[in-house]
Amino acid sequence: MIRNYFKIAFRNILKNKGIYSINIIGLSFGLATCLLILLFILDESSYDKFNQKADDIVRVVFKANVGGEQISEAVVMPPVAQTLESEFPEVIDAVRLRKMNDPKFTYNNKHFRDFEFAYIDSGFLEVFDFDIIKGDSANPLENPNSIIISQDQANLYFGTEDPIGKNLSFEEGDKQFTVTAVFQEISKKSHFEFDVFASMNGYEYANSTSWVNSDFHTYLLLKDGSKYKELEAKLPTIINKYMGPQIREALGVSYSKFKDENEVGLFLQPLTAIHLNPGFVSSGDLKPGMDVKYLYIFGAVALFMLLIACINFMNLATAAASKRAKEVGIRKALGSKQNQLIKQFLIESFIATIIAVVLAGLLVFLFLPTFNQLAGKAFEIKDLLQFSIVILTLILIFIVTVLAGGYPAFYLSSIQPILVLKSKFTTSGKSNLRNGLVIFQFVISAGLILAIIIVYQQLAFIQNKDLGYNKDHILVIRDAQLIGEQRQSFINQVLEDPKVKSITNSSFLPAGETDVSMSGVLLGDEYQRRMFIYNVDEYYIPTLKLKLLEGRNFSKEFGAEQDKVIINETASKSLGFYEDPIGKTFTQDTNEGGQLLTVIGVVKDFHFKSLHRKIEPLILKHNPYGGVIIRTNTADVSSLLTSIESKWQKINIKQPFSYTFLNESFDNTYLKEKKMRDILSVFTGLTILVACMGLFGLVTFAAERRVREIGIRKVLGSSVPEIIGLLSKDFIKLILVSFVIAFPLGYFLMEQWLQDFAYRIEINWWVFLFAAFITTLIAFGTIVLKSFKAAIANPVKSLRTE
Amino acid sequence: MLLELNHIYKWVKSGGRRVFLLNDLSLKIDEGEFLSLMGPSGSGKSTLLNVISMLDAFEEGEYYFDSEAVHDLSSKRKTGIFNENIGFIFQAYHLLDDLTVYENIETPLLYKKIKSSERKALVADMLDRFNIVGKKDLFPHQLSGGQQQLVGIARALIIKPKLILADEPTGNLNSAQSDDIMGLFKKLNQEGVTIIQATHSESNAGYGTRIVNLLDGSINKN
Ligand SMILES: Nc1ncnc2c1ncn2[C@@H]1O[C@H](COP(=O)(O)OP(=O)(O)O)[C@@H](O)[C@H]1O
Ligand SMILES: [Mg+2]
Repeated sequence: MIRNYFKIAFRNILKNKGIYSINIIGLSFGLATCLLILLFILDESSYDKFNQKADDIVRVVFKANVGGEQISEAVVMPPVAQTLESEFPEVIDAVRLRKMNDPKFTYNNKHFRDFEFAYIDSGFLEVFDFDIIKGDSANPLENPNSIIISQDQANLYFGTEDPIGKNLSFEEGDKQFTVTAVFQEISKKSHFEFDVFASMNGYEYANSTSWVNSDFHTYLLLKDGSKYKELEAKLPTIINKYMGPQIREALGVSYSKFKDENEVGLFLQPLTAIHLNPGFVSSGDLKPGMDVKYLYIFGAVALFMLLIACINFMNLATAAASKRAKEVGIRKALGSKQNQLIKQFLIESFIATIIAVVLAGLLVFLFLPTFNQLAGKAFEIKDLLQFSIVILTLILIFIVTVLAGGYPAFYLSSIQPILVLKSKFTTSGKSNLRNGLVIFQFVISAGLILAIIIVYQQLAFIQNKDLGYNKDHILVIRDAQLIGEQRQSFINQVLEDPKVKSITNSSFLPAGETDVSMSGVLLGDEYQRRMFIYNVDEYYIPTLKLKLLEGRNFSKEFGAEQDKVIINETASKSLGFYEDPIGKTFTQDTNEGGQLLTVIGVVKDFHFKSLHRKIEPLILKHNPYGGVIIRTNTADVSSLLTSIESKWQKINIKQPFSYTFLNESFDNTYLKEKKMRDILSVFTGLTILVACMGLFGLVTFAAERRVREIGIRKVLGSSVPEIIGLLSKDFIKLILVSFVIAFPLGYFLMEQWLQDFAYRIEINWWVFLFAAFITTLIAFGTIVLKSFKAAIANPVKSLRTE
Repeated sequence: MLLELNHIYKWVKSGGRRVFLLNDLSLKIDEGEFLSLMGPSGSGKSTLLNVISMLDAFEEGEYYFDSEAVHDLSSKRKTGIFNENIGFIFQAYHLLDDLTVYENIETPLLYKKIKSSERKALVADMLDRFNIVGKKDLFPHQLSGGQQQLVGIARALIIKPKLILADEPTGNLNSAQSDDIMGLFKKLNQEGVTIIQATHSESNAGYGTRIVNLLDGSINKN
């Protein structure tokens, strides 16, 4: 019997090739999308899970609102780890990591700079999974000045020599480190990646008892089964106890008064949630994360597409119902039981689903490289064989089989044979279920089109926004900070090139990699808030084309100007310098005590952070050091680059010449959004294609069912456009209804997305019109494609049959 | 006696009034009869056949099939009796378009879960008997109307029914084809199968052993 079911099912599929190709192709698109996006989502949500103790590890983070400034930092104060471990029994271990920027090793007179370096507490290697492949695997970081290095670094420094016991000179001979172990490279799916770890034991700052400086990534290993939320609830007492007294000392206000006006707190973040929680990206996170919101968006798109494909299946099944109903009646009259018919219909949809799965596999195979490019991943086909994907595929096969075959299996099979034999059973062309499902499909299609338009608009807005500085024709050589004394002569040489307009010496940039500096600011004795500091020279403002609103630029004429500053408008407002800011003074809180600064100019606000964030107060100080920023006269800089490179090489420096373009760095700031735009565009296109395939099928049925009517109307003199109108009218109505649902929904969701940007577009009424127009155009095109054929058919032919 | 209908009423409501499709209809049919139901279009022939088949219900009256009280039976049991005992032949043949001649005939056996070897033998027998062995792999649309009806009959007979119900089996056929089918019915009847057919044609009715005339859902005694 089963064999017979399969035989009949195959034959039915073959016989209804047209309909089934629509179903199967649509379904395979849906499934392929699901598989790809599933790969992506699983990958993104599996960060740090390779650690055996992952579920018991939390990170301590700092959040505060001080003087109206929202602070959230992934790093906390040096004593936090030790304090929490001794105060709370549920904390088994507390370990810290302190990242050092721009490290430099010297070995055998060779310099190495291109590596990531951090100090860690020795327990760090116990809490996180490390694979020590050479050397002391028990406690390699016990002694001060011991380091462990990755396999790749070991090869780089020592080649074939045994790295264990070798000494590396750190920075300019500040320290000597001894290699005690070599570890396997840290997984790419970790929220941190370092090449070298040094023992925290020899690191002075680690012993600091300051509760006002945050620099340490701090992780807690909790007792199995203890709830981190419960521990988190106890942290305010710690802040009171330890931070309170120091606040009074540092700020000169009592802690209780400070607490009335400000909020400070330590919070906990599960290790496995770090990657999907991008709140700390700009404040100490070790790697850019992935906003979980985007995973939801992608997941929704994949599901929508699958749903639309299933709906095609259901719709076309209902449209074919009158034909299938007759078969049901006959079979029942021949002795078939309902469950036998259910089986038969389900086997039919099962086979179709399996074909679609195979096709989907093929599609994934073909498009995996494209997808990898789009998503910035390196998936391989074998990644699909993960347990969860296989299980999910099986579940999907089951669900799709039931959804797709559900209508004939459960509804048609219940038809009484007598109804069919009396030919009383006619499925009319109209079906509320089908109409509902078509509306649903177009709600999704129109909604996605709307979303895409808005995403494009916002990104174009960012691209074209007046940033307050000019990002074009700017060449950045951050490594110039390494040149040391010869920097000025290097700058002078480069300036000789006629293509160079100006050069400024600074490592502070409004986009891309940049130095960051912040300081507390006081007016008199009164603590105000922290402000960003840019250390620049007198060429910074002209080179970046900032606009000076008041006062003057730094100038050699006035000698050393260390105590002079130029501030941005926001800083000026924040400090209450409304009338005449020039000549006003304030105090910068530095490690060596306060420094009194005098305002000599105000620059127009410029976006020195991404457009996700509101412009904050900024202080430009005359303190040239670091990298070199070059404004060129033209965009064609290839010859300039060669000439700069040759000058670079003449300086005796091992570092290879490297540079970035500011506008490219700027573009990269919005990579996440662009990635989303591209992925969304591709899958929206596919989703609409699948929806239109379904529509095409439905129009085919409608035209078939009404072939006699069309024939008669034509004989009576109806024109081709009138016939097309007749056939499309009902569908167009459904599509219009779908707008009514799609647009408010789309508006609401896209508003949410736009909230992420401090600088954003407003959603305009014409966007809706445009989305409606495009959707209608696509749908109508599909309908006309099919109904035109029906409309031009020779009526005599259709009337002769029967 | 094979079946007995006593005072059967079947009606539909139309505008609050009852429209009688079968009106106080009583009929006894013995095993081995070949009965022809005659009467003008709309007189209730099909309705009566459907009621006898148990596929359709009636509002009042008693119906005994093989001494079982059909009016008291569950619909499941009725379907069971129908599947065991009755073969139905349709005016429009109602072959399954996607199945070959062979498969069409085989289908009722599949639903009865008969073993493959036995099925083969039974279907081969039937093809032989109706002289359509050569057509066994053709699809319905490749056959003439008469041939299609032959397949329909073979399919009805394959479960060895006690009773054959045929609703205008030759309604779509020409007179030569029609005579062939009637000859076949006669032969089946002589082999012991009870047949009830609805027909408009006097000559078709002539093949049978008894004629019942219907008018407006009642037996016309004239
Ligand atoms: N479900 C129904 N509702 C209303 N009228 C019906 C129904 N079924 C049959 N009829 C009517 O009952 C009468 C008998 O029909 P039928 O048994 O098909 O006649 P015959 O087969 O003799 O031509 C016809 O007038 C038909 O229109
Ligand atoms: Mg009739």
